Amino acid sequence: MQTLRMNAGLLSSFLEALKAFGTLVAPVERSPGVFALEAIDDVSQARPEALRTILPFKKLLLKPRFVMLERRQGQYGADGADNDLGPVVYFGAHSCDIHALRILDLLYLSDYVDPYYKRNRDRLTVVGYGCMPDGKCFCQSMDTSTIDKDFDMFLTPLDGRYLVTVNSARGDDIVRANQHLFQPATRRDVQEYLERLKEREKAFTLSLDVTDLPYVLELKKDDPVWEELGKKCLCCGSCSMVCPTCACFNVRDECPEEDSAQRVRTWDACLYREYALVAGGHNFRASRADRVKNRYYHKQEAFVREFGMPSCVGCGRCIENCPTGINVVEVFQYVRGEA
Amino acid sequence: MSVSLPEQLPARSAPRKLATGVNPYAPAQARIMRVQDLTSEIRLFDLRFTDAALAESFNFRPGQFVELSVLGVGEGPFSLPSSPTRRGMFQLGIRRAGTLTNYLFDHVIEGDFVGIRGPLGNGFPVELFEGQDVLLVAGGLGMVPLRGLLHYLIDQRDRFGRVMLLYGTRTPDQVLFREELESLARRGDAEILLSVDNAQGKPWGGRVGVVTELLDQVSFDVTNTYAIACGPPVFYKFMLEKLVARGFGRHRIFLSLERRMECGIGKCGHCAVGYTFTCLHGPVFSYWDAINLPELIYT
Ligand SMILES: Cc1cc2nc3c(=O)[nH]c(=O)nc-3n(C[C@H](O)[C@H](O)[C@H](O)COP(=O)(O)OP(=O)(O)OC[C@H]3O[C@@H](n4cnc5c(N)ncnc54)[C@H](O)[C@@H]3O)c2cc1C
Ligand code: SF4
Ligand code: SF4
Ligand code: FES
Repeated sequence: MQTLRMNAGLLSSFLEALKAFGTLVAPVERSPGVFALEAIDDVSQARPEALRTILPFKKLLLKPRFVMLERRQGQYGADGADNDLGPVVYFGAHSCDIHALRILDLLYLSDYVDPYYKRNRDRLTVVGYGCMPDGKCFCQSMDTSTIDKDFDMFLTPLDGRYLVTVNSARGDDIVRANQHLFQPATRRDVQEYLERLKEREKAFTLSLDVTDLPYVLELKKDDPVWEELGKKCLCCGSCSMVCPTCACFNVRDECPEEDSAQRVRTWDACLYREYALVAGGHNFRASRADRVKNRYYHKQEAFVREFGMPSCVGCGRCIENCPTGINVVEVFQYVRGEA
Repeated sequence: MSVSLPEQLPARSAPRKLATGVNPYAPAQARIMRVQDLTSEIRLFDLRFTDAALAESFNFRPGQFVELSVLGVGEGPFSLPSSPTRRGMFQLGIRRAGTLTNYLFDHVIEGDFVGIRGPLGNGFPVELFEGQDVLLVAGGLGMVPLRGLLHYLIDQRDRFGRVMLLYGTRTPDQVLFREELESLARRGDAEILLSVDNAQGKPWGGRVGVVTELLDQVSFDVTNTYAIACGPPVFYKFMLEKLVARGFGRHRIFLSLERRMECGIGKCGHCAVGYTFTCLHGPVFSYWDAINLPELIYT
């Protein structure tokens, strides 16, 4: 790890320089207060301080819909070039986003490696950006509010300058190609950075008590709270679509033209009615209560058992996007009998 | 004879590769060598991989399954009713159920090609069964995966103690592999008891009644026996507790779960039951593990 500084006025030169390493993707403001992750050419559009983009970066690794396999005029193809997004530089990743990336890596790069994910992942450059939480952020509770690995560079805004952390050989390549933008960090820079961290830790207003949460869930598996939640949840799936760690998918075969066939992979959500439906009409999770419960158990119990940590990074996207105002933090307070 | 099986790796450990290819979503081509109707709704397919090396090396654990697909039609998980002790060819016993299976019945004939990915899942812990008595209990289509295990046990007969099979179907014409089972019983390789819910006036030498009642007709030493159950949800509902009532420890009972599957390799999420993925940690679970899943096995 290497710590540098960059003057605030050099940000656009830095972003221009990043373009040499891949398609530059950053949050942009679509309409007032609404941000989306998009490939940008005009670097002045980048809004790295935006707390959450509607869709998270997972769309840069696996498109919402892509062809996995295809046959055309009798020729069998299996390369899935459809999901090949080329080298991408993701600017404006927050700590929670990078933790979410690690969670996706755990899922997609363990056991049978997912080649469609891996191809894009191997060529993804992550440039993080220090954020300030709002009332929907609870990453502090999820232990994801700071990050010390799995990114290439990280910019933390200080007064008139950035503290720049270089954390990979690729980050080092970027620095070496653009020496003129950086200077060694001074003791004052580091001191100010540490003060900012402290200030940030104090800025959190939302918190989730995760003490023994998997065990609490186990004890509460038959609790009526799930029925009540099922009455409120529309099973629209928005919370899954916007979640940076939700990664379920469906596979369907299609025949777009005569003598051609495709196996298509699309984002899916365990909240949809057909998710656990099998031939003959049996549905393993027929009620909405079962489905919404499954989402919470998967994130806070199953993933913990399997990988040693929950698959929620506290980004607040699901809170922001639920049409009926379901809030994960409140749900768990309720489950514990505290609300 | 003795075969070595693929190791049972713990889930979420070292990266691994499917026998059918580096891209775990891309099937290897296999040819349908023979088609045989087991009942009017269930058909047995003999398959062989086009790639000769793969055909000879394809090895799996009894209880594992494969994903069969026809590009443009669909893909689905199917248990292997054949045994790894018999190489070169493998079999699938398929019931007409929906888009893909209807296509297999109506359009796929001997000589055609299909795609296969596998082997998938954990399979039965057959190493545990060595030197022990093995009690197989099957209901309906549950005979398909158990037939693979049965062949495995019979082909290495001296490594196991008693081999017992209790198998129930609705009617006599739904008994899968009937002649084969009768022949195994005659040879004395396995003790086999069959039952049907209703004989429908057809000649029937077995018992008439629900399959759980067959349990009352055999005696066994529960400290030296493993029970392996396979069948539809209602079968499990009665059979598993009955086995416990007969004295089996819950860790001595194994079962195979069926869930909606898409990827078969622990990625898509569809097969989740409680905190496990059926395709990766299962489909075989001990009864103790299954009963502790937050989502009950019967639902
Ligand atoms: C571990 C395992 C082993 C199985 N072994 C056998 C077997 O030996 N013989 C047999 O006839 N059937 C078996 N099944 C069930 C078989 O997979 C389904 O009947 C089949 O997938 C139905 O596909 P379809 O396209 O004909 O039906 P459709 O209803 O048209 O299928 C639509 C989609 O749902 C999925 N799906 C539907 N039903 C099931 C199901 N029960 N399990 C998983 N996915 C499903 C399919 O993959 C497909 O994506 C097994 C299922 C599992 C999970
Ligand atoms: S966004 Fe809200 S209503 Fe929609 S599925 Fe999620 S919890 Fe249910
Ligand atoms: S569950 Fe909600 S808060 Fe947690 S990571 Fe997903 S979208 Fe963010
Ligand atoms: S079938 Fe996809 S995770 Fe099990």
